[in-house]
Amino acid sequence: MSSVDESAAAKDAGEDSVLIRMQDIRKHYEMGSQIVRALDGISVEIGRGDWVSFIGSSGSGKSTFLNILGCLDRPSGGEYFLNGVYVEELGANQLAEIRNREIGFIFQSFNLLPRATALGNVMQPLVYRRISYRRRKEMAMEALRRVRLDDRMDHLPNQLSGGQRQRVAIARALVTEPSILLADEPTGNLDSRTGAEIMQLFDQLHREGQTLILVTHEEDVAGLGDRVIELLDGKIIRDRRAGEPLH
Amino acid sequence: MFYVIFESTRSALISIFAHGLRSFLTTLGIVIGVASVIAVVSLTQGMSAFIGESFSSLGSNSLTIQSYTPIAEQMRGVRARLTPEDLELIERRGESIASITPILYANRTSQIRYAAQTTFSQIMGTTYAYSEVSQSYMLLGRFIAESDNLTRRRVAVIGEKVREDLALPENPVNEYVELGGEWFKIIGLLEPKGDIMGFNQDDIVLVPYSTMVSLQGNQARTDIQIQLSLSEDADVEDVTRQLTALLRNAHDLGPDEDDDFVINTAEQLMETFDTIINMVTLVIGGIVSISLLVGGIGIMNIMLVSVTERTREIGICKAVGAKRHHILAQFLIEAMLLSLLGGLIGLALGYGLGTAISSSIDSFPPASIPLWAIALALGFSGFVGVLFGILPAAKAANLDPIDALRYE
Ligand SMILES: Nc1ncnc2c1ncn2[C@@H]1O[C@H](COP(=O)(O)OP(=O)(O)OP(=O)(O)O)[C@@H](O)[C@H]1O
Ligand SMILES: [Mg+2]
Repeated sequence: MSSVDESAAAKDAGEDSVLIRMQDIRKHYEMGSQIVRALDGISVEIGRGDWVSFIGSSGSGKSTFLNILGCLDRPSGGEYFLNGVYVEELGANQLAEIRNREIGFIFQSFNLLPRATALGNVMQPLVYRRISYRRRKEMAMEALRRVRLDDRMDHLPNQLSGGQRQRVAIARALVTEPSILLADEPTGNLDSRTGAEIMQLFDQLHREGQTLILVTHEEDVAGLGDRVIELLDGKIIRDRRAGEPLH
Repeated sequence: MFYVIFESTRSALISIFAHGLRSFLTTLGIVIGVASVIAVVSLTQGMSAFIGESFSSLGSNSLTIQSYTPIAEQMRGVRARLTPEDLELIERRGESIASITPILYANRTSQIRYAAQTTFSQIMGTTYAYSEVSQSYMLLGRFIAESDNLTRRRVAVIGEKVREDLALPENPVNEYVELGGEWFKIIGLLEPKGDIMGFNQDDIVLVPYSTMVSLQGNQARTDIQIQLSLSEDADVEDVTRQLTALLRNAHDLGPDEDDDFVINTAEQLMETFDTIINMVTLVIGGIVSISLLVGGIGIMNIMLVSVTERTREIGICKAVGAKRHHILAQFLIEAMLLSLLGGLIGLALGYGLGTAISSSIDSFPPASIPLWAIALALGFSGFVGVLFGILPAAKAANLDPIDALRYE
């Protein structure tokens, strides 16, 4: 089957509820003579409005997977359809466009612009959308209000606590109203109370119909979603409904 | 496109002022380059404007005729001359001449003495018409009259510089000075004219032409200069051609012989000065633009460092949707603005420097910057910014998002 047929087929599929379809995705790193198989044949389908958690021990390939899912990184092999589009065929600028329009990425290490205020950070994705400064500011303030950070808008990232930074990162991901929200260890740096607050926010977003993909290594965080996918050494070892017993 | 430029300019300005000192040091090469270009240009242009004014005060339609002997002829002991007969001939047959006067320079000594004071000056014999031809006016007393020439009177008109050098009284009229062993009565003091290019126009002594001729004795060797001014509607080139024909004929020159005289117009002289000044401007400008290139390399260097330093930031911007041209525009515009700001500072500094120099040296004309120099300086510094900004900007734009994000 040629890739054109594939993408036509995928477009049909995109019209129903499938948002992400991955087929045998691999990511290999060559380290001298050794080959690190960070991802080793991942096949998965994720529907619109789903809340899927990826879980696995450190080094199992969760971040690598999320980067490919977020069109930040390209796989070494396999096929990836996002919203019916065959991602491998896209150029750097088209990927940038997808990252801007379709994807809200919340990084494991926040990745905020150090010299911009909380407000400036949230406004940044909108710069690439030809939105006027005033409108950008309004939208960013609205997003910060949603994460209840409207009283820290003029603070630089290094003047914010870890939880506040996490919320700035979430606001930045939300402000573009993406089709998918990707979050890498959103509670990893937080105490349990702040973590619970963030999870509450995710739950609310989910109920509003937001597609959510979460990476975590905490079982109870993963359990909040609809579906839990377990990774080990770059392979899916389990794909179950949340709340199903482990054994 | 406009939106991208606008947003890039905004973030470039934020980044430039966030690192104020570093930005300034980065652009210092441009500042110095532009400042020196502007200082030099403002001085030479001021000078050339001033020379233009000085020469137009000389009267743009005045001519000077001098004898001219090529070096080869001089070696053979031949000396070309302009004689009183030539003067008479031009007076009689020359066209469109408003006034004409001979000038005879003192050939032995130009020493002049008053009481115990002695000085050297430019001593010339001339007629009443000199006043009109050279636009010299009297401050005190009177100019040489026609009757002074007819009776070879021993009278002199002096310039202000000579009066000062000889410690003559404020009003030197009726005092006596010694010239070439003879006593001359001062009949007038010229209105001061100031300097042209370090040449003091007030260092001058005028005596009647016929008196000077008799002082020199050997009339067979008299070589005079002729100065004349033309009537308003005269065409300088036509008159020059006519006078050349007249003099060649009088001097019995064959068709293959060169002129043994030269006719200078004030305009020609001015053009010569202008050419020299423009050449000086060009040469210094050329040297200084090398320093602009060096400044540009400085900017490139810092921009490269800044790209490396901001690799993670670039990665973040790309992760949230920046395309290649967004990043390219941001760094390119930052380099250009940096360079342009340097150019602006340099402009102000250079003008200040030029003004300071011209006002601290008395005889220097005031500095002036022509518009083209401002446009050129800013255009060039902007261009340098773009030229040397391309490499760092391209480097930033081509970063892979995931690699940039992982950069420590
Ligand atoms: N750029 C790279 N070059 C070489 N190996 C890499 C690179 N990035 C990741 N890896 C390897 O790929 C594997 C998966 O890494 P990844 O970051 O996806 O793990 P993770 O599941 O997110 O772990 P953690 O829970 O600690 O964040 C690791 O063994 C890692 O060493
Ligand atoms: Mg990880």
